[in-house]
Amino acid sequence: MIWSIAWRNIWRNKIRSTIVLVAITIGLFAGVFSTGFYKGMADMRVESGIKTEVSHIQIHKPDFMLNNEISLYFDSSNQIVSRINEMESVIASSRRIEAECFFKTAHGTRGVRIVGVEPDREKKVTDIFEQMVEGDYLAGDHRIPRILVGKTLGEKLKLKIGSKIPVDMVDMNGNFSSKLYKIGGFFETTNKGFDERTVFVRFDQLQQQLNLPDNAAHEIAIYLQNDANIDIVQGKLQEKFPQLDVKNWRQIGKELALVTDSMDQYMYIFVIIILLALCFGIINTMLMVVLERTKELGMLMAVGMHRAKVFLMIILESIFLSLSGGILGIIIGYGVIKYFEDTPIVLDIFKGFEHYGYSSKVYTNLPPEMALNIAGLVFIIGIISALYPAWKAIRLDPADAIRTD
Amino acid sequence: MNILETKNLHKVYDETSVPVYAVNGIDLTIKKGEFTAIVGPSGSGKTTLLNMIGGLDRPTKGEIIVNNVKLNDLSSRKLTDFRLKNIGFVFQAYNLIPVLTAKENVEFIMQLQKRPKKERDKRTISLLEAVGLGDRVNSRPAKMSGGQQQRVAVTRAIASKPQFVLADEPTANLDSKSTENLLEIMEELNRKEQITFIFSTHDQRVVKKARRVITVDDGKIVKDETRDPEKD
Ligand SMILES: Nc1ncnc2c1ncn2[C@@H]1O[C@H](COP(=O)(O)OP(=O)(O)OP(=O)(O)O)[C@@H](O)[C@H]1O
Ligand SMILES: [Mg+2]
Repeated sequence: MIWSIAWRNIWRNKIRSTIVLVAITIGLFAGVFSTGFYKGMADMRVESGIKTEVSHIQIHKPDFMLNNEISLYFDSSNQIVSRINEMESVIASSRRIEAECFFKTAHGTRGVRIVGVEPDREKKVTDIFEQMVEGDYLAGDHRIPRILVGKTLGEKLKLKIGSKIPVDMVDMNGNFSSKLYKIGGFFETTNKGFDERTVFVRFDQLQQQLNLPDNAAHEIAIYLQNDANIDIVQGKLQEKFPQLDVKNWRQIGKELALVTDSMDQYMYIFVIIILLALCFGIINTMLMVVLERTKELGMLMAVGMHRAKVFLMIILESIFLSLSGGILGIIIGYGVIKYFEDTPIVLDIFKGFEHYGYSSKVYTNLPPEMALNIAGLVFIIGIISALYPAWKAIRLDPADAIRTD
Repeated sequence: MNILETKNLHKVYDETSVPVYAVNGIDLTIKKGEFTAIVGPSGSGKTTLLNMIGGLDRPTKGEIIVNNVKLNDLSSRKLTDFRLKNIGFVFQAYNLIPVLTAKENVEFIMQLQKRPKKERDKRTISLLEAVGLGDRVNSRPAKMSGGQQQRVAVTRAIASKPQFVLADEPTANLDSKSTENLLEIMEELNRKEQITFIFSTHDQRVVKKARRVITVDDGKIVKDETRDPEKD
């Protein structure tokens, strides 16, 4: 019966309870919605990071990742690709050659990372080919080989489709090598930093320029059906190719992993701050409740209600109050998030984030378990807020409480 | 059979600069089935006495024995249990839980006593009918008159089958008709169910109904008379 008393007690002062409830609802809506918003932003960053930049798994010669030394290549790369493609859960894999190069133009010299890719295979592994804003992806053979440049880099160096530029680097033998490429197209990903640092050419062209042996590669990128069993696939690959170093996207794109790992924590901290603010409102309300009902509480204890029950009754009232507001806020927030899961929120003020790989179009996302956890936090805050008022209530002396006017 | 005995009972309030001797050496025995009024001027110590008898307040000195249990020795927890099982309370006001209906209010104590639901239902309804509230079973206190509320309070007090019912000025907030009505009900319960009532009052009409009248002044019993109220 104390459950029902606690619930009905909330509605004794309808206006006051409604105000508290609405405050909690708004607070939780704000908390849940921002969580979903930033989570959506982070997820998209990770997704585009995987799809455009790193793919799921990469294979290198050990230590290649440390210093990108061009001599750290591996042989039989074609056979390795075939063996990987036979594996379960693997959609495709593609070889790459990578080097640091200098990019000389009339408007400046730039050091960028040049990546040699096999266009047909690469298309199945990353989606740069879909991000072309001008020109074509590395298609066909040309007398002067084509090079793909990020839109921002192109703009900075005032490059045009068809511009010829010499690309300088040091080859395998330590000799200076310069080769002429023609701008074949510009790409634009959600990560402006990536666009500015990276250029693409054909695998064989770069192999030739670097004087690498046939069938040598620096990297194999592997795209999986999904992220879920990445650890299993990674383990199997490592078993198959013990001399090579198999890494997943979390290990490669440290900043991508940080985005996912830290985002959840930040969001919980954010929600907890909101809840703490609400906590004071609830404490205040519950203190008023105890004060107003001094006589009644005295009567309850006088007729034989144990202090523990009185304590529980006050706590329950606070929990009910917090949870009804909280759950309402969570439901509304979750509903809004569901809506914007498919319809993006477009915010111009987020344009600045594009430089760091965040899209200004945000598809919100909130895993249900996160919503449940937030509800759990509301529950805990309901308890915490009522502790002091409930303690005050049980400190009442029934005889005195009944005498008070 | 004595159901209540106090020996040399004292209560001193000394939080203030001048100590107040609210109860100052009271020896009292109550037998089962009594219908006793405690009267006396304001501040004479009636409420203080009733609170100590009911285990709500602890004496400064002296003993209280209810049904062979010495209340002085009980811990606060045990005392709460003791009140729940042995004593019915009716206060001047704020007797009922506002959010509960008449039936739920009466049931509440039986529920704290962990009586089975069937028994609770049956007893609650029959008692409320007996006090003339059969049609107000599902009303909340705010929808009832003061007299009706006090009848619910009396019903709640006796529903738990206590050793005795303590009522501190139960009619103070009632008009004369409701007062008469409440007294009739208390008398009837006393007669039919042998329930012991101890009540304090200022009201001479209420005093007249009592079979024993104890007069206190300055924390002492100054008069204790037993009589037949029918003769008045
Ligand atoms: N908690 C307390 N602290 C100090 N003094 C108290 C306290 N409770 C009661 N008193 C004093 O004890 C004395 C007896 O009070 P009590 O309430 O028992 O009288 P009463 O006979 O019930 O009076 P009334 O008829 O007005 O209800 C009074 O002088 C009162 O002021
Ligand atoms: Mg009094």
